[in-house]
Amino acid sequence: MVNENLVKDVVKEPYKYGFVTDIETEKIEKGLNEDIIKLISQKKEEPKFLLDFRLKAFKKWQKMKEPNWAALGYKKIDYQDIIYYSAPKQKEKISSLDEVDPKLLETFDKLGIPLTEQKKLTNVAVDAVFDSVSIATTFREELAKHGVIFCSISEAVKNHADLIEKYLGTVVPASDNYFAALNSAVFSDGSFVYIPKGVTCPMDLSSYFRINSGDSGQFERTLIIAEESSSVSYLEGCTAPMFDTNTLHAAVVELIALDDASIKYSTVQNWYAGDEEGIGGIFNFVTKRGKCLGKRSKISWSQVETGSAITWKYPSCLLLGEESIGEFYSVALTNNLQQADTGTKMIHIGPKTKSTIVSKGISAGNSKNSYRGLVKMGTKATGSRNYSQCDSMLIGDQASANTFPYIKSQQPNSEIEHEASTCRISEDQLFYLQSRGIEFEEAVSMMVSGFCRDVFNQLPMEFAAEADKLLALKLEGSVG
Amino acid sequence: MEIIEKIKTNKSDENLTEIQKICLHKLQSSPLPNPKSEQWRLSNKSKFSNFLNYSVNEKDSKFDTPFPNTPQSTIRLVIGNNCQINLLEENYSIQQLSKDELQKYIKEQLSFFKQNENWSDLLNLSLSCKNNILGLKINGSKIPPIEIFSHASSNSLNAKTLVIFLEKNCDVEILQVNLGKENSSLSQSTFFCLKENSSVNHGVVSYGENRSNLLNSLNIVQQKNSTYNLGSLHFKFNYARFEISIKQSAGNAKTNIKGMQITKEDEQISTYTKIEFNGPNGFLDQINKSLADDKSHAIFEGSIIVPKIAQRTDASQLSRNLLLSNLAQIDTKPQLEIIADDVKCKHGATISQLNEEELFYMRTRGITLTEASKLQLSSYFQEIISFIPVSKDKWDLLDKLLNEN
Repeated sequence: MVNENLVKDVVKEPYKYGFVTDIETEKIEKGLNEDIIKLISQKKEEPKFLLDFRLKAFKKWQKMKEPNWAALGYKKIDYQDIIYYSAPKQKEKISSLDEVDPKLLETFDKLGIPLTEQKKLTNVAVDAVFDSVSIATTFREELAKHGVIFCSISEAVKNHADLIEKYLGTVVPASDNYFAALNSAVFSDGSFVYIPKGVTCPMDLSSYFRINSGDSGQFERTLIIAEESSSVSYLEGCTAPMFDTNTLHAAVVELIALDDASIKYSTVQNWYAGDEEGIGGIFNFVTKRGKCLGKRSKISWSQVETGSAITWKYPSCLLLGEESIGEFYSVALTNNLQQADTGTKMIHIGPKTKSTIVSKGISAGNSKNSYRGLVKMGTKATGSRNYSQCDSMLIGDQASANTFPYIKSQQPNSEIEHEASTCRISEDQLFYLQSRGIEFEEAVSMMVSGFCRDVFNQLPMEFAAEADKLLALKLEGSVG
Repeated sequence: MEIIEKIKTNKSDENLTEIQKICLHKLQSSPLPNPKSEQWRLSNKSKFSNFLNYSVNEKDSKFDTPFPNTPQSTIRLVIGNNCQINLLEENYSIQQLSKDELQKYIKEQLSFFKQNENWSDLLNLSLSCKNNILGLKINGSKIPPIEIFSHASSNSLNAKTLVIFLEKNCDVEILQVNLGKENSSLSQSTFFCLKENSSVNHGVVSYGENRSNLLNSLNIVQQKNSTYNLGSLHFKFNYARFEISIKQSAGNAKTNIKGMQITKEDEQISTYTKIEFNGPNGFLDQINKSLADDKSHAIFEGSIIVPKIAQRTDASQLSRNLLLSNLAQIDTKPQLEIIADDVKCKHGATISQLNEEELFYMRTRGITLTEASKLQLSSYFQEIISFIPVSKDKWDLLDKLLNEN
């Protein structure tokens, strides 16, 4: 018999990114109204089109209702009790990393993010976002040689306004949903990536999001454009300090892939999840969507979701181009009182489009983990295919695992396959491993790792290692 | 509100039964199902309002459907017109439920009702007068097969209710046939209570004629060690909903469901199933097939709910769909909600067309395309039809289906 308590002990592990950086920040007052939006826009010295975009989104948001269809329960969010802009105080414009506040660099150092020069050897370009603003972007010159633009979105607004105006809000319109509208109105910073025609990005691009203040929300916006025959791999990581209050994070990510382009977007999300009683933690409401606009374009989402008190996230693909491909690989781990409602949408519009969904959910403690997905074959999606696989693993008898796949087909010449299963850590397998001299905790971790293997194989090297470590931390206790 | 007025104009308050009054009261607070709710979201609104458009009919027209010849021993009942039965044989007994027994059971069920999930039942119970309710208590063994008919009359809205108690250790085969008439609506609600160790092979065959509509609801409660096998088939309805709710009240029960719906022209047929396990060691094997042709729309939504108490549940659900036309639509949504950890649950869903390789193979052997498609369809249908009990052969279901396809 497996000792239930033992499993529970294994699952417990303190959050190690919970520290707060004591840094002078510039915050605006709490609350949300047109003046606040104008103030944010003014602080960022934005052109008029963007201010109009924000105000229009705000008007729409005011008319919208917070969605309640997800299998989530949380106390009502007071949108007037949030600071919508918070930035570490900078003297003047920074020209090199040496001018960045050393405390900030220290913070990212603690998080293991290579910002400083000596760490640049890892060959990953990083854009670090601290609360509302982007702190630093590394490897810029190197990327510029290839014509790749990688900078914070506020910089892009200044330097590449034409691209922003052309693409912003084309994949996720402001009126898309409640949280997307909120983000469109108040988004502060985020990353912008532009890969020109025919360029394969010479290195992985990465952004790192850090929430530092307890009362401000984070609303970042990411826009990635891959021109014809280009390709890029983008990584995203997130952490936050431990606070007793809930912090709101409502991001929007838009990807656009033109003919033959490919974008790989990987996320390791490890926001603070709240304590064992469910106090504190990040409310993570994210809209991520990619548009495969061109022929044979490809967008691949892979994600490891381990943090946040509430996760509401459905990275999706709109498959418009002929023979375009959408992929979604996800591991979602919930523990204690965490709740996750995550999944994907694959909308097949063009002919011969293909999509693959692999989702692994692990629920432990009193947590709730739901997969919610939509696969839709439009009338023109002839010869299209989808394969979905959703597996859930339950640890302990208090956790819940739900699967809600919606499947809709309007095209007879297309195929959809979906399968889902639920299991727990098999006692037989545990016994077998233990009888071979493998310790209980290691055996559990081996089995969880094996369960997630399909997804980990899809992650870029750096992330695969981080993800493994993360799951180990969350699940393996002393072994990790 | 219109619907309530419709029911009331027929009768004064004194003539309504207590159940009718309770249901009317419930309907008064929200007369129609919420069109945004998961259960009604995909329902075609104009077809649904068309369902309610007919005037309520309490007196049946003569049952004029030609019967197939069934063995003498088969017990045949037609709901409506004060159908009476009282059989006391050596091995078994089939008796009518008393008014009190009926009322008590339905009231008990009413307390679990949810507005959107049980709207069809609320409508049915508020419409069906005492002539159109049949309550049966079945006991014993070696019971001859039973056929129960519900039918609609043309140009009217008809409501029929069936309540069956299956006593302990009882074993029976029941075929329920719902017949739609031209321009008619039929609301059929069935309540089944399977006591300990009882077992039933239940067949539900519903077929209509031009422009006929159906709301068919099935509420099953299974006690310990009971076995419920359901084979169902719905076709030829302009608009039909088949709602199944199964509760394994203390677990340790077995449920097998094989259902199929076939839609053509601009028909819409949907199946909603909800299976709850309220105890350990429950078993479920479910397969639902849909076939959509022309401009039709087939919907399947199935949820499996496994609370903490239902350890060692073994449940599987499969939704297989054939989409045969460019203008047809299929929606399918299998769902799992699980809290217990020691369970085996899985579901699957596929949507495709006829297998081209198989068709090609048959054609190379000299079989025409039409014949080959028929052969493939017949094997697709056969799995479900062979699961429907009683005189399925006599009803020539397969021929009927294939010839119409």
